[in-house]
Amino acid sequence: MNNDFSKPQRQSAFGIIIIAAHTAYKIGKATIFFLIYAFVKMGAAYTTYTLLGIGLIILLCLIFSYLWYLNFTFFLDKEKQEFVVNKGILNRDQVIIQLDKIQQVNINQNILQKLIGVYGLKIDTAGSSGEEVSIKAIDEVSAYNLKEHLLSRKTETVPTALVSDKKATDAENTPILRISSWTLFKVGLTSNYGQSLALMVAFFLYTIQEARHIMDVFELDKGYVKSTVLGLATLFSVAVIVFILLVVLLIINLLRTFYKYFELEISQHRHSLLLSSGLIAKKSTLISPNKVQITKYSQNYFQKKLNMLNISLKQAHFGESKKGHEMQGNTLEIVGCNTHERDELLKMILTRVPLKGKTFIPDWRFLNLPIFFKLVLPVAIFLIIIFNVPELKPYIGFAIAYLITGVLMIYISYRKHRISVNQDFIIKTSGIWDISNEIIMPNKIQAITTSQYPWHKSVDVGHLCLHTAAGEIHFKYGNYTEIKQLVNYWLYQVESGNENWM
Amino acid sequence: MSAEIFTNEAIDLESLPKYEEIHLNKPHSDYWKIICINLFILFLLIGIGGGLLIVFNQKVRPHVILIATVYVALMVIFFLLFWASFKKRGYAIRTKDVIYKSGIIAESTTIVPLNRIQHIELNEGMLSRIYKLGSLQIFTAGGQTGHLRIAGIPIAEAKSIRDLLLNKLDLIENPETENEI
Repeated sequence: MNNDFSKPQRQSAFGIIIIAAHTAYKIGKATIFFLIYAFVKMGAAYTTYTLLGIGLIILLCLIFSYLWYLNFTFFLDKEKQEFVVNKGILNRDQVIIQLDKIQQVNINQNILQKLIGVYGLKIDTAGSSGEEVSIKAIDEVSAYNLKEHLLSRKTETVPTALVSDKKATDAENTPILRISSWTLFKVGLTSNYGQSLALMVAFFLYTIQEARHIMDVFELDKGYVKSTVLGLATLFSVAVIVFILLVVLLIINLLRTFYKYFELEISQHRHSLLLSSGLIAKKSTLISPNKVQITKYSQNYFQKKLNMLNISLKQAHFGESKKGHEMQGNTLEIVGCNTHERDELLKMILTRVPLKGKTFIPDWRFLNLPIFFKLVLPVAIFLIIIFNVPELKPYIGFAIAYLITGVLMIYISYRKHRISVNQDFIIKTSGIWDISNEIIMPNKIQAITTSQYPWHKSVDVGHLCLHTAAGEIHFKYGNYTEIKQLVNYWLYQVESGNENWM
Repeated sequence: MSAEIFTNEAIDLESLPKYEEIHLNKPHSDYWKIICINLFILFLLIGIGGGLLIVFNQKVRPHVILIATVYVALMVIFFLLFWASFKKRGYAIRTKDVIYKSGIIAESTTIVPLNRIQHIELNEGMLSRIYKLGSLQIFTAGGQTGHLRIAGIPIAEAKSIRDLLLNKLDLIENPETENEI
C-alpha cells in the first residue's frame, strides 16, 4: 500500500467479511425475537425454510458488503487539505472532510477485527449532521499512517504545536500516563456508581421484559414463576437483598471499568494525544489538544484519600439531533490519574497548569429555590397527606431524614459552587459528592448570557452562563456587578484577539 | 510564551466598554400586532374547540361558567406575559458583538461576539411580510442555547444588519464551520 494516500484506494479486502458480519449482526439483532419465535412456534417442518431464510440473509449481506467494498474508496487531497471518501451502492455519495475540521481519529479493533488482524478507523468531525467516516478494515501500518496524515496538517496552522513539538522530541511515544490494573480496581470501587446503577436497572428491566416474552412463547405458567420468585424473595430478608444488590453493583462497576479502561495509556504523538484502552476491543483515540473545549477533573471523598482523579475532555458537539450517547462519544474520560499526572495532562492540553485566580462565590440566596422546591414543598405535601391518612404516620421519620440530608446536600452544593477567574482560565467548581472542576479558556467562549430576576435587582444578584461548543458553564446567584465586569472582560478577550476556538 | 503571562495584568476593568450601558433598539411596534394576531388565532382555535365540546358533550355543560372564566383568565395572563416580554426585548449591534435582551420574568442578556458567529438566517413569516418585518437568527457553535433570534425588526433594517454582519464575518476570516457534509 502506498504511504501518502494521494490516490483513491479501497480498504482492505477483509472489509467484506467485516461489513457482512456487521450487517448480519444488525439484522440479527433486529429480528432475533422473531427468529426465536419462528423456531419455537413453527415446529420442525419449517426449520429448513427458516435456515434457508437465514442463509439467504447471510448471502445478501455478503453481496451487499462486496458491492459496498467495491464502491468505497478514500483518498487524501493534499492541495485542498481534504480527505475524500466515495461510497454508496446505488446512489453515490461523496464525503469531503477538511483536515483542520477533524476532531479526533479513532482506531478500534473489535473481536472479529482482532481475529482477522485488521483495524477499524473512524473520523469524528464537529459537523452538525454528525456525519462521520468509518473505514471498517485497514491494516495496522496503514491505519496509523493515515491517522498521522490526517492529523499532521495542523503543524502549520497551530502556533502552539511548536511547543508540543519540542516536548515530543523528549518523549517520543513513551506514554506519559499509564493506569495500572490496581489503580483501575480502585477506580472501579470509587466512581461512576450512577452509570452502573442505570445500567443495572436497564438490564433488570430488559430481563423482565424478555422473560415475559419467553414465557409467552413457551406458554409457561406465570403464576408458578411468580410464586417461585416471591418465595425466593421471602427466603432472604430485605437487608440481604440490598447487600447482594450493592455487591452486584460494585462488581458491575469493576467490570465496566476494566472493560473500558484496561491498560489505559496516554502518549504524545507530535501534536496530538493518543489515548488507548480497552480489554476485549482495544480502542485508540487521537485528539489534538486545541480541539478540547472543556477540560474537567473531578474527585470524590474516597478518591481524594487515594489521591486519584478522573479527567474528562469535552470536545465540540452540536446539539441538534444528537442523542445522549453520541454526545458522550465526544467526551474522553481518563480515570485514575494522580495529581502529578493531572498536572502533566493539563499542561499538555492547556499549555500550562491553570492556577486559580480571583474566586467568586454565590450569594446565600442560592439556597432559597432548591430548598423550597426540593425540600419544603415535597415535605409539606407529604405532611398534608399524613394529616389525612393517619396510617402513614409511622413514616414521618423519613420526612425528617429527607429534610436533614436535603439541607446538608444543598448547603454543600452551595459551598462548592464557585467560579475562579484569571486571565487565561475560567475554573468552575461544583458538585456535592463528586467535586468537579471545569476549566475553559476564554477564547473557547461562543456566547455569554447574563440574567437576573426582577426581585434580585435591589440586592444586586444575578446569573451567568457561558456557552461553549461543548456545553454550558453556569454560575448562579453571583454579585451582578462583578458578573457584568467579568463579562465585559471576557468579551474584550474574545473580541480583541482573533484566536481560533478549535 | 511565558513572557506574555505577565504583560497583560494591568487592564483597568472599569475602562472596558460596558455592555450593560448600551442603548438597545426596541422591536418595531407593529411586531406587537403580530404577536396579538398570533395569540388571537391561538385562542380562537381553543375557543372553537371548547365551544364544540360544550355543545356536543352533555357532561361538560354544567361547568360552562368555570370553563369560560379559565379561558378568559388564560387569555389575560397570556396577553400580559407577552406584553411584558415584548417590552423587555431589545437588541444592539456593536462593532464586535451582537447583544440581545429578552425574558418574561427574568431578564436575560445574551452577547455573541461577531467572530464566533457561524451563520445568519433571515426569516420572514406570512404575517411579518404584511407588516414588512423580519426576524434575524444568529447561530454560534454553542448549540441551541447559544443562538439568538431577534424578531420584529423592520425588513430593510434586518437586511442591512445581515449584510453588515456578513461583511464583518468575511473580514474576520472566520473559517466557515457551518457545513462540512
